[in-house]
Amino acid sequence: MQIHIQSINPDFFTPASSEVWSKNFELHANSSYLIQAVSGSGKSSFFNFLYGLNNRYSGTILFENKSISTFSESDWTNIRKQQISIVFQGLRLFPELTAFENIQLKNGLTNHKSKPDILEMMSRLDIAQLADKKAETLSYGQQQRVAIIRALCQPFELLLLDEPFSHIDNNQINNAIALINQEVTQNNATLVIASLGDTYNINYTKTFLL
Amino acid sequence: MIDTLLKKQVHKSQLLFFALSSSLGLGILLVVIQLFIDTQSIFNSKNDLLGNQNLIIYKDLGRNNAFTDAEIAELEQQPFITKTGGFTHGTYRVLASVTFPNHAGITTEMFLEAVSDQFIDITNKDWKWQPGDREVPIIIPKNYINLYNFGYATSSGLPQINEKIIRQVPIDLTLSGTHKTENFRAYILDASEKINSILVPESFLKFTNKSLSPNKTAKISRLILDVINPSDPKLLEFLNSKNYKYLSNDVKNSKLSYVLKLILSIVLFIGLLITILSMYLVITNINLLILKNKQTITQLHFLGFSKSDIAKVYHTIALKVLAISIIVALVISIILKFVFAPYLSILQVEHSFLSIVYLVIISVIIFIALALYYRKHTNTKIGLMIQPNTSLLTTEI
Repeated sequence: MQIHIQSINPDFFTPASSEVWSKNFELHANSSYLIQAVSGSGKSSFFNFLYGLNNRYSGTILFENKSISTFSESDWTNIRKQQISIVFQGLRLFPELTAFENIQLKNGLTNHKSKPDILEMMSRLDIAQLADKKAETLSYGQQQRVAIIRALCQPFELLLLDEPFSHIDNNQINNAIALINQEVTQNNATLVIASLGDTYNINYTKTFLL
Repeated sequence: MIDTLLKKQVHKSQLLFFALSSSLGLGILLVVIQLFIDTQSIFNSKNDLLGNQNLIIYKDLGRNNAFTDAEIAELEQQPFITKTGGFTHGTYRVLASVTFPNHAGITTEMFLEAVSDQFIDITNKDWKWQPGDREVPIIIPKNYINLYNFGYATSSGLPQINEKIIRQVPIDLTLSGTHKTENFRAYILDASEKINSILVPESFLKFTNKSLSPNKTAKISRLILDVINPSDPKLLEFLNSKNYKYLSNDVKNSKLSYVLKLILSIVLFIGLLITILSMYLVITNINLLILKNKQTITQLHFLGFSKSDIAKVYHTIALKVLAISIIVALVISIILKFVFAPYLSILQVEHSFLSIVYLVIISVIIFIALALYYRKHTNTKIGLMIQPNTSLLTTEI
């Protein structure tokens, strides 16, 4: 998906000068981008703008040359099912559901993956044995891996990962990145990762400092 | 799975309580509607008991007591009078004789009157006469039959009669006008409690008046009024100011009917009130439920679940509560119909299953109307919740 960002600025706080705010740039398919920033500079806000959760900004964001401010609620619902997937910084898993149920909830919208596919992805990130555990009983690092797999269980053209590996050890980060790269390639998608500093050994098309 | 997430704050006992409180309101509503339908016949003007929407007025004796055209026109202009009809009387002498087999006949002088057919409380296809017909139907006051049965017949040894065989009694009428005298056969078609007179069809009276006494004009000395409410103080005041007399019995009956209607209306109002309150209760509860699940709702929406996917769960809950309420209310009102039946039969209400059909139709309409309302309400609430910027997620910077 071709994404044009035209000098956007949040309305609800005044950000410091950066390579994102008030700038014009494009995000292309089959490319990876890193948004590197200190805490509080607006990474999650930028993701929320792209994901349609927040529209309090000036400037324009275009998906395939169409301004996203014109999208209706059902347009966004379709986009979130078919085009953009996200791992929230706060994960947003349902604590009362098991790890597998959390993933299946998302997968059920499009039936993108089969049950063995999901379990295979879970075992690659070493959480298959936790499939039937309730999310609230998992550690934050385990929950992060569940959220990553959930985000991969739909077709997407843009994958937004908001500090996805903050509580995961390096070994599992490598496994996760391998899985993510594989899925991004399969989907010919754009990958945008937000991080506080780590670059996670990914070959980025471009790094934005925020 | 979305069901379990969105229903996690729902307590079955709570929903049951809401369903029962709605059924109470809806039940009262349906019972009163049913009573209204069932008792329609006694409020109807065709019934002698309560439906007395007619008032017969006359002037004091001792003066020229005929109503002039101007007076009738004035009466018709009053807002509380819908129709007026004059009693026309025969302009000739009437001699009626009845012959019983094996008994000496009775001969009596009497009179004939006619009133517009729309005021006659007897629906009988034989109530008609046209020139050339041999027999004339007559309606007499019901108390004449009593007078005959318990007074005359017992003392003179004549057989007693009832309303059925009275039709078979042949009556010979001899009508002597200024111009000529004619004989007619007549029979008693029915007896009326409402109109205290001896009535023949209007067409018969017009014809005989014209042919027997062509030079006499018929005067209208009594008027029958079709009124909205015979006990209306404005009407009675008007009649008093004009010095018109009326039968107080008619007014009493109408007061009874008015009180009955008033009671039914009050109960209907209470039923409506309870229904509205219980609806409000259900809506408040749905609001609470949606509010309690705000986080879940927004998260599901941002995961890709549409508004209707989410709202459907709450629609189902509301529909179930509503369906239980309506079914319970309907069952209660149908049971009560049979409980009330003996009491209503005292009021001469015919037992009919038609009201159940109406009740079912009304229930279906209420169900659809409330279901649409709940649906709209839930959609609006959820719609507000999942708007951008109002979500819990946007607090992350």
